[in-house]
Amino acid sequence: MFKREFWRHYDFWLLGLVLILSIFGIVMVRSAIAGNAELEGSVNRQATFVALGMGVILVVSLIDYHYWASLSRVMYIGTILFLLVIFIIGEVQFGSARRLDLGLFFVQPSELAKIIMILVLADFYARTRDQVKDMRWILQGFLMTFGVVVWIMLQPNLSTSIVLIVIWFSMMWISGLPIKYLVMLVIIGILGIMLFLLLISLGVQIPFIEEYQIQRVVNFMFPDPNARHGDTYNVEQALITIGSGGWFGQGYGQGTQVQLRYLKVRHTDFIFSAMAAEFGFIGTSLIIGLLVLTIIRCFQIAKNAADHYGALIAYGFGVLLFFQTIVNIGVNLNVIPVTGLTLPFISYGGSSLLSLVLGIGFVESVAARRKTPDKA
Amino acid sequence: MSEKVLPSENFPSWRLWTVYGLMGLIFLYYLFRLFTLQIVQGQDYLDQAEENRTTIVKVQTQRGIIQDRNGFILARNVPSYNVTITPAYLPADEGATQEIYRQLSLIVGVPASLGEINDETVRLFKPCETDLGISQIVFIGDTNAPYDPVRVACNVDREIAMIVQEMNADWAAVDIEIEPVREYPTGELTAEVIGFLGPIPASRQEEYVELGFVPGVDKVGYAGVEASMQDTLSGVNGERTIEVDVAGQEIRDLAPPIDPIPGNNIRLTIDTRLQSAAKAALIAEIDYWNIYFNTIRSSNGVVIAINPKTGEILALVSYPTFENNRMARIIPAYYYEQLSNDPNRPLFNHAISAEHPPGSVFKMATAIGVLNERVVTPEFKVFDPGKITIEQKFSPNDPGTPRDYVCWLDAGHGYVDFLHGVAYSCDVYFYKVSGGYEDEVPVGLGIWRMAEYAKALSYGEITGIELPGEADGLMPDPDWKRRNVGENWATGDTYIAAMGQGYVLSTPLQVLMSFATLANDGKYMKPTLIREIVDSEGNVIQPFTPELKWDITTDPVITIFDENNFATDQKKTVEPWVVELAKQGMRMVVEPGGTADTPFETETIPSAGKTGTAEYCDNVAQSKNLCQPGSWPTHSWYVGYAPYDDPEIAVVAFVYNGGEGASVAAPIVRQVLDAYFELKAIDSTTGTGLGQ
Repeated sequence: MFKREFWRHYDFWLLGLVLILSIFGIVMVRSAIAGNAELEGSVNRQATFVALGMGVILVVSLIDYHYWASLSRVMYIGTILFLLVIFIIGEVQFGSARRLDLGLFFVQPSELAKIIMILVLADFYARTRDQVKDMRWILQGFLMTFGVVVWIMLQPNLSTSIVLIVIWFSMMWISGLPIKYLVMLVIIGILGIMLFLLLISLGVQIPFIEEYQIQRVVNFMFPDPNARHGDTYNVEQALITIGSGGWFGQGYGQGTQVQLRYLKVRHTDFIFSAMAAEFGFIGTSLIIGLLVLTIIRCFQIAKNAADHYGALIAYGFGVLLFFQTIVNIGVNLNVIPVTGLTLPFISYGGSSLLSLVLGIGFVESVAARRKTPDKA
Repeated sequence: MSEKVLPSENFPSWRLWTVYGLMGLIFLYYLFRLFTLQIVQGQDYLDQAEENRTTIVKVQTQRGIIQDRNGFILARNVPSYNVTITPAYLPADEGATQEIYRQLSLIVGVPASLGEINDETVRLFKPCETDLGISQIVFIGDTNAPYDPVRVACNVDREIAMIVQEMNADWAAVDIEIEPVREYPTGELTAEVIGFLGPIPASRQEEYVELGFVPGVDKVGYAGVEASMQDTLSGVNGERTIEVDVAGQEIRDLAPPIDPIPGNNIRLTIDTRLQSAAKAALIAEIDYWNIYFNTIRSSNGVVIAINPKTGEILALVSYPTFENNRMARIIPAYYYEQLSNDPNRPLFNHAISAEHPPGSVFKMATAIGVLNERVVTPEFKVFDPGKITIEQKFSPNDPGTPRDYVCWLDAGHGYVDFLHGVAYSCDVYFYKVSGGYEDEVPVGLGIWRMAEYAKALSYGEITGIELPGEADGLMPDPDWKRRNVGENWATGDTYIAAMGQGYVLSTPLQVLMSFATLANDGKYMKPTLIREIVDSEGNVIQPFTPELKWDITTDPVITIFDENNFATDQKKTVEPWVVELAKQGMRMVVEPGGTADTPFETETIPSAGKTGTAEYCDNVAQSKNLCQPGSWPTHSWYVGYAPYDDPEIAVVAFVYNGGEGASVAAPIVRQVLDAYFELKAIDSTTGTGLGQ
């Protein structure tokens, strides 16, 4: 049935972009490990993940995305249970319980939760498409989202929580959130942030917020120029690393800041800086361009999707890519405080890549099943 | 608000466009930010990145050695072995690391673990000066710079160093660092000349860093020739510009290394044998009198020997002094404190820094003035009744108060001419010719003109010897007294100044130079300790060249004063016959009847000299209540030179609170002169040393 149709609509542009970015990621990780013995296996692992990832994309895209709609409730409850398990028995690592050791590799359920929530929320907003967009509608989505977010916050993992909230909000927006409610939500949000800052400055202990998170915000706003380590040092070195790239970069494997390891967490959170140092303004702009094209591709697939559910999946994943990209680059460019979000497809990390290729698989599934051909 | 959505469209397109718009804005801003960082501020960041990875390490140079005039080594560098651990090279296994600590502890004797790590101990940590155990030291080193070796045991024996060196084959982390340490083979014997080294003082750190020194590693001279010839001896550190990673590990050279330039070697004019003889003579004489009086009467003194023709200092003894080898590695606080608190000030170079009244040795300055200014003829006989009374006047119209001035010989010397005045050191002779006396000597030399002759003979000004801390002494005049004492010059001041008392102060070196100048027929040779400077390969880069400061018989150094004692623009020289007569007078000092006839009775090589017994009343004497009117305590002085007809050595001896010059200081000079000629005789058979 889908033999010819399927491959005709299959988005090879998207697949190609993902492949190029992922391979570039392997290349960049190879340079970024900079002789660190503990990271030596990273290149092979990342290459394996990419190879597996391509398989995942194909397999997932072969499955009709409509099946997932029927599984929405099961997946939603399953995600919450999974997060509970992590919360209760998950081992404490780096000060927060985020990962489950499955022997071979760690699974970060919160990464998976992002993708699942896209499916679940897409299902919800597709079903309520013709409903009146009132307060009830907003609250339903809110409760659905926060049913998951609260467990992630408890880990604590603020950045993923924010990602989920952003996905929820963007879905509401595209589904027709009335402007008056938007204004209301924005005002509530601003008041909330102000209250939050006030409480922090008064030294009140706020649940879900850890000391280091506050410290990151403080470091961002009032950096200590003499810090020799920690976030301020990392960001300072990241800026030096980026700046040292110039127009064309110092060359692959030649960035002094990277290779002599002045740049920290350079194969994950700060891989953008490593890239900027070695490939310069031109190379970095090119990679940003590829990422932007990937996001646009997702949005275009959403626009042309066969139905609303598929459109919301593609759109939601596009927003996820967009948000992760701008947050990661924003941290590297020191325009927002340090968070743990990685640069999609390029940063080292199996869990993150796995959730990304799952998403791409869903988006491809949507693309391949559209009914009308592209409009000229 | 209700929105119309076309059935063919999934979303209202304006809503998607809003998302695109937001995306466009953010990415455009990011590109702008990226452009700012990489292109606009790119150079700044690149510079910072360069600074991160570039480190300049200094390659330590070798300090020059110091030899005496015969090539005998007075200061050299010897290796000192330190045991180090490079934390980064320790095995990853904690057990294996502990095993290294245990084994090393057994060999070097530093406990494997001792003390605790806290802010206080980390802050106060100084390698080589810590009580911490090996684990603690390595922990601190690891936190600071894991690739820098940290010293765990310092100054270990050569045998231990070799054992540890062998351990290095198995354990790369353990190594031996060879640190050059200064050694002074002659130690205390030459400490006052050689001095010692110390760490770069914080106050001058910037200046030294600019010259390429490394604070905390390189040492600089603190005293003696080590300090005054610092620039010659130090050499220049080499430099390597290297690339380092974030842990401080060296990656490669970024520029061709600059090799260190070794310091130059210095050969001093000192003859260690004569120095030894001089010091022994001084100490023996001081001890003899202390035992004789059964009390510690004098406890410091000076002997300096010079070749008057060249200005070469052959021996320079300041007693007591210090043991400079004790300061070779570090300056121990307790020892430094002990030296600082010693009332005899061992760290103070008495030979050049101590200012004392010269007493009768100063009479030679008055003497040449009297003859050269024709106050009296050499043959003119002045009557010495043993005591004269002079009106002490503070101004010409002051009616004055009568004051007695006595000769050291109560009975007086009767009628004395110039030569006998010098030979007898007749005080009344010098009172009358310097200050004038009634009709006998209507106009004396006067203080202004006396000062001119004193200055021509080196008083009142530093000589410029290559030692730090030289004092300039004091040759007073009425202006000085007005400004500093707030009183007019009194007539009596001139009388006592004529015999080196009152306000006159001089260093032993100045006293010696005044005699060396006369002995050398008026030629004042700059005193020097440096015979030659040789580079590290043995090439002489500064051969010995005697430096003539001035010749009083040819250079006009004496300012002429008019009848109102105002200085004129004209200057004159000292006539050669004046110098000749002064020398004759000094010869008569050691001849029968002279003040120093006893100690020089048996001399084989004719010498000449002058005694000095200088009354003083300083704070030490005052606190001991010694300053009784009429019998003040006295310093003992003697200056002699020989051979009389062709002087090649002049020696000053000074003993603080020594008493009479003739009985205390003169025998010391006699022994030094004897030692000199004995050494010269030995050298002449071998053709070396003093025979040169």
